[in-house]
Amino acid sequence: MALLEVRDLRVSFDTPDGVVRAVRGVSFEVDAGRTLAIVGESGSGKSVSTQTITGLTRGAKISGEAVFDGIDLLTADKAVLRELRGSRIAMIFQDALSALHPYYKVGWQIVEMIRAHDKSVSKDSARERAVELLRLVGIPNPEKRVDEYPHQFSGGMRQRAMIAMAMANDPVLLVADEPTTALDVTVQAQVLSVMAKLQEEFGTAIILITHDLGVVAQVADDVAVMYAGAVMEKAPRRELFYRPHHPYTEGLLNSLPAQGGGDMRLTPIPGAPPSLIGLGEGCPFAPRCPYAFDKCWAETPPLREVFGTDEHHSACWLPVDEEGRVQARRELESSREETA
Amino acid sequence: MSTEPLIKVRDARKLFPVKSGKLFGGQQDYVHAVDGVDLDVRPGETLGLVGETGCGKSTLARCITRLYDLTSGTIEFDGQDISTLSRKEMRPVRREIQMIFQDPYGSLNPRRRVGSIIGDPFAIHNIVSGRERRVRVQELMERVGLNPEHYNRFPAEFSGGQRQRIGVARALALRPKVLVCDEPVSALDVSIQAQVLNLLIDLQDDFGLTYVFISHDLSVVRHVSDRIAVMYLGKIVETAPSEMLFELPRHPYTRALLSALPVADPDLADSRERVVLAGDIPSPVHPPSGCRFHTRCPRAQEDCVQIVPPTEPVLGDPPEHATACLHPLAAGEQLAGNRPTISDTELDDTSLDDLSRGKEASGS
Repeated sequence: MALLEVRDLRVSFDTPDGVVRAVRGVSFEVDAGRTLAIVGESGSGKSVSTQTITGLTRGAKISGEAVFDGIDLLTADKAVLRELRGSRIAMIFQDALSALHPYYKVGWQIVEMIRAHDKSVSKDSARERAVELLRLVGIPNPEKRVDEYPHQFSGGMRQRAMIAMAMANDPVLLVADEPTTALDVTVQAQVLSVMAKLQEEFGTAIILITHDLGVVAQVADDVAVMYAGAVMEKAPRRELFYRPHHPYTEGLLNSLPAQGGGDMRLTPIPGAPPSLIGLGEGCPFAPRCPYAFDKCWAETPPLREVFGTDEHHSACWLPVDEEGRVQARRELESSREETA
Repeated sequence: MSTEPLIKVRDARKLFPVKSGKLFGGQQDYVHAVDGVDLDVRPGETLGLVGETGCGKSTLARCITRLYDLTSGTIEFDGQDISTLSRKEMRPVRREIQMIFQDPYGSLNPRRRVGSIIGDPFAIHNIVSGRERRVRVQELMERVGLNPEHYNRFPAEFSGGQRQRIGVARALALRPKVLVCDEPVSALDVSIQAQVLNLLIDLQDDFGLTYVFISHDLSVVRHVSDRIAVMYLGKIVETAPSEMLFELPRHPYTRALLSALPVADPDLADSRERVVLAGDIPSPVHPPSGCRFHTRCPRAQEDCVQIVPPTEPVLGDPPEHATACLHPLAAGEQLAGNRPTISDTELDDTSLDDLSRGKEASGS
């Protein structure tokens, strides 16, 4: 059984403009020791999904279930949730500066994290553990750094300090929401390698939320692609990159500048993502999809098994067998050539 | 392509004063944002400028457009030194050099209508007015892929990608020769990013524009640029034609930067060399002596601490591929195996303390 199993998660917010259906029936699972990357563009619902699971969405209407180790996180008692968060489920966020308290020393915040969940740990041994954690994530001179304030850390060090804090109670699940987005590439490489090292050492499961397909290709085991509040495609990493089924995934990959030059003009996805207010029946991607046909507008495609493997799922009405899918692409390409 | 550069930057320096640590007296400190840069931009080309946060790439861009005045050095545009021109003398030059900014939200006045934002350059330079101006603006809107009927809308009614198109239309209004694009697509989602990049590429073909294209995203820069200059801590460490830079990076920093770039290809991501640099970028208030990269460089030797490396082609490289390194990488040589010899991670102890102090000072 999976460590975390999310089933048909739905989240909506009442706003003055109408009901925003931010997450519309999302299902995924994460196994121990593996990394699930959730990719999507702004407003795809990737952050809202995971924030809901960790109990961080306020004023939302929520349905579905998220079973973590036998406990449904969505209906669990607040006290139970509080006990889980920060100990067995930890989170790191994009903006480390606002996630760390500016008035308290970094070490103090880690000590607090440890002692909040286990009062029997003495302050001194919690402090020792804080130093050890900072060393683990590659903070130089941790004995001294432990007594510094967040503003004295550089951006990359803050992010690593936040990872240290998240790892303080040996979590089995780490939810990382765009952990490297605000960082430069060389610092990003440092942070990603720290996360990989920790996962190897402790067998932590990671949910990595990102919009960067390059990061996904580097660290994910499994990938879920989200669009307009729903999962469009779910597959192991290599499957997704080398044999995408959903036209949105295909479109995203085509939008990227090719490695090694190639064609000067890129192939963007035309149009813009839909509004999440009053989204009706039909595939949400249909208005931007070059393959769209009548059925796509009428019926919302469910997440179906494709290419004959139970690991690869796609929410698309195109043929599920490889031959049919390739045929569809060929037809699209030849019709494009005709119009060109 | 003509060899005579359109923009010629020579020994450009831009220092920003910061408050010193002491209450009274003490020595005045400076952030060395741009510190001795030579750069040529040739007509019709796209010059990519890459580097990490704080390397001075945006400052350099703002110096080229004269939004900042240089502390010393010269910038020649079309044979004329524009670095010391007065505001009035600068006016006709401004028509030729326009800029596109990163933030499509902050760079457009939210209280003004799109039509008047795009029409501003016409008004400021007193070119066309009234009905004629409206026609010109609508032509521009159409050219950048906006609906001309949206002339009377406010920026808030547009998405991020559309706003960036508004910024492009405004920059194009005066038919400039040069567009300086400072992270023009960094705030956009990938699918939208590709739309704007395509637009920029098309406009360059149509109007024969010259681009200075700044980004921290190397794959975007590689895609659009003819040549790329890599900056580190206020200096250019390597300049080369795009493909050459990616195939044979000579400077260890360039190599590290390229290896850290995430590629959306699992097999490539698994197989390639990855260099994880130790530590952080040192403070630009007291930049390291000699080669500025020596504190983090896996190949650094004793001489790197003393000698400022000249920018010149490595033996066998064509003249357009210049590297500022005393111990450049040979073809096929691995960098990851090298360990830092001069220093270890201790050095970043002082890293950004000075910088954050500087920020506080400028904020107060």
